[in-house]
Amino acid sequence: MATKAKKAYDVVVIGAGNGGLVAAIRILQAGYSCLLLEKHNLPGGFATSFKRGRFEFEASLHELNDFGSPQEPGDVRTLFRDLGVENKIDWVRIPEAYHLITTDKKYDCVMPFGQQAFIDKMVEYCPESRKSITEFFELCNEVRDAQTYSNSVNGNTDSAYMKKTFPNFVKSGSYSVNEVLDALNMPQKARDILNAYWCYLGVDCDRMSFLHYGSMVIRYITRDAWMPKMRSHEISLALDTRIRELGGDIWYQSEAEKILADDNGKICGVQLIDGKIIETRHIIANCSPHLVFGKMLESKAVTEQMVRATNSRKFSGRGFTLFLGLNRSAEELGITSHNYFIYDTADTAKQYDLMKKVSTNHVQATVCLNNAYPECSPEGTCMMYFTTMFMSDDWGNVREEDYFKAKDRVAEDMIRVFERETGCKIRDAIEEICVASPTTYARYCGHPQGVIYGYETADWDSLMPRMMMMKEDALTHPGLRFAGGYAMRSSGYSSAYISGDLSGRQTVGDLKKEARGE
Amino acid sequence: MKFKRQIFGFMDMLRFKKMVPTRRKMLAEGPNTPLPKEYRTNVLAKKLHPGYMQVELTAARFLTDTIRELTFKRIDTSEFPFFRAGQYVSLQMKIGDSLVSRPYSIVSTPRQALANELVLAVENAGFVSGYLNKTAKVGDRFVMTEPSGEFHYETLRDSHHIVCIAGGSGITPFMSMAGSLADGDESYSMTLFYGARTAAQLAYKAELDALVARCKELEVVYVLSDEEQPGCEKGFVSVELMKKYTDLTNSTFFLCGPQAMYDFIEKELTSLNLPQKAVHHDAACCSDLSMEHPGNFKLTVHMRDEVYVIPAKANETLLTAMERAGLNAPNKCRAGVCGFCHSKWLSGSYRVAEDRDGRREADRKFGFIHPCVTYPLEDMEIDVPPAY
Repeated sequence: MATKAKKAYDVVVIGAGNGGLVAAIRILQAGYSCLLLEKHNLPGGFATSFKRGRFEFEASLHELNDFGSPQEPGDVRTLFRDLGVENKIDWVRIPEAYHLITTDKKYDCVMPFGQQAFIDKMVEYCPESRKSITEFFELCNEVRDAQTYSNSVNGNTDSAYMKKTFPNFVKSGSYSVNEVLDALNMPQKARDILNAYWCYLGVDCDRMSFLHYGSMVIRYITRDAWMPKMRSHEISLALDTRIRELGGDIWYQSEAEKILADDNGKICGVQLIDGKIIETRHIIANCSPHLVFGKMLESKAVTEQMVRATNSRKFSGRGFTLFLGLNRSAEELGITSHNYFIYDTADTAKQYDLMKKVSTNHVQATVCLNNAYPECSPEGTCMMYFTTMFMSDDWGNVREEDYFKAKDRVAEDMIRVFERETGCKIRDAIEEICVASPTTYARYCGHPQGVIYGYETADWDSLMPRMMMMKEDALTHPGLRFAGGYAMRSSGYSSAYISGDLSGRQTVGDLKKEARGE
Repeated sequence: MKFKRQIFGFMDMLRFKKMVPTRRKMLAEGPNTPLPKEYRTNVLAKKLHPGYMQVELTAARFLTDTIRELTFKRIDTSEFPFFRAGQYVSLQMKIGDSLVSRPYSIVSTPRQALANELVLAVENAGFVSGYLNKTAKVGDRFVMTEPSGEFHYETLRDSHHIVCIAGGSGITPFMSMAGSLADGDESYSMTLFYGARTAAQLAYKAELDALVARCKELEVVYVLSDEEQPGCEKGFVSVELMKKYTDLTNSTFFLCGPQAMYDFIEKELTSLNLPQKAVHHDAACCSDLSMEHPGNFKLTVHMRDEVYVIPAKANETLLTAMERAGLNAPNKCRAGVCGFCHSKWLSGSYRVAEDRDGRREADRKFGFIHPCVTYPLEDMEIDVPPAY
């Protein structure tokens, strides 16, 4: 039955994921009214926690990139400061960058944070790499400075100034990671070690843009990564609290089913699955264009351009995570690192191919949270989470009756590979276990196929042209902007928060223009 | 640094400039075919987790003097989701002005669910179960939540052999676990100790005997406290008694029954020095507090853009107050653990039932509560999402 909400809103944000939460705060800070709709009963989307027995598991965050210390804040800490949530959260610093293990070349390398420390460690592992790795960081620093400049002028860059001040940014800007490392003459081993972060972006280094990878690596290595003590749920509730403080409304268990448009195709409201209608002329969708243009937006307002653009894009990885609560401490079990990357092969393109099939994928990014925050679980215990992705819709072949067994098979393989590669025997210590498959991600967040990384940032759809086309992309659908993993900044916590910041502020700009009668 | 090498040169700038036109072209040239309405993984997610289901009572029979078996079919679609044997559903109904729910372990197997049959067995023990036991009739319709709960076998956590101990109506999840084992969907071997006062109070004895006959991985031991019967043990489910039947050191225990049984078994098990992971119990609902003169308070409930002011009692949970007032507040486990009733506290002091605070750490920090285990200490104001 169609009932109308008592109030119309300047902006309705669909989805209280990382992007949606930040966008809502930006709208409210500018003095506009905002309703945040969420289909689940919690904020955060993937940024949440859940309890099993005496453990409270982190649902997805490995470490918050680009956060930095209070004295030297990264972009995300600065954003949190502006939003008024930095001090609502207790933060803990992540101790080391990563522990890379590859089955084929038997790498077993622990890499530190800090540019000089990272270079020195790399030289230990690969003595002839000093020059190329140093040059790599110089190049990354220039990339970062160029991006800072570009952000400071809201993307309206002066091309002569860019060419003069950041010549290498432009020169390297169209190449893949491996093309640039080739040009730097980086020895293979150093390259293999350096490319370990690739799975965080979900694109192999033959197809991933150097600008994208370089800007992430430099942020990881030179600015500390941090983590909220009470799991990412603490961030999500801090953002929820801030929205309430600013007078915003949040409706949980309220799934938006339709985006309503008037006869001219202009957005005029949102309809919930129970029929309730909320009037608004501005929507920020923290969900995929595939859902918005495929199912939610009234068909009379869907244009050929929207359909073609959406169809042209490629889904990124579908997520799978195993959570274990262990009844022995990390120390007793011999688990020494916070963050492991375990790959079958150091060849990222080959690995990407192996990840297309559930049966041939043995990649894992594995976290033992106690090695960053020892008090995260009771004394004498520890918590681990193992994440992988499937680079095709292979998981869609799982049948209902085989579902629980299919989850167990992948989980068991993750435990087997971890035990084999690290020598740490964990299986007998399992006190709590939980498995999230693509089906689980589809259930809670509604993403097509259980995709957790939005659209692949590879080849023509890489980060740089996306950012350069931010304005013109939004012109395709006036009154509607996107935030979160499917938005211009792609996936990952930091990117999703920043996309919410961008789309929130841009929507404020739209509202101001509207008020001026433009 | 000079970034220059053969492959980078005069073309670099051109390549950089081409990125935008290339992307523009690719977006414009995407296929003009309709965007998908469904995705296989999402369809499966919806099948496994439909949220709320519309069901109809299709059959009812008494298993003992006090336990009534209820069989349901789904009417919003043609099958129940496949679930994990041991899980529960919550059944919602209107009784008078109240809109109430209770969780019940599923008796039937996951295979039966796919054949659109889901069976519960309800003991006449309270307001809602009394209604289901006496008043509910075939053809009545209910809202049921999807199967939920962590009380089930986990292949990678539990021992191959499981020892299940049922007290009274606590037999229900084990019927599903035994049936699912016989169906070939589980990989454990199971020894079930089923305690009751008299043979007449054993629900499902015939069904269990039939399962044992067709499944060699299943053994059932009946234990009667108040009478001697052939084929049954006399006494309580003690370690000494269990040891006669099975090796207890390499087993995982599943317990379901009244609190008195948990207290007894736990004391018994201490001699075995088992790790915490070896013993699982099914959660029981949080009940009213016993109080001589419980205070009466005002509870203000925000649900989206509606505000309701309703009475609440000091000895009843906030959830009970909302149910009495006919508010459709979400809930599943009613034991403080599932988090489904997660709501925002706005004002007024409260207490959480002892040992039932299943909230996340940050929930406590930012003022979120689980109304199913929260009692008011004064007038309160809360923001609750609607169930559906």
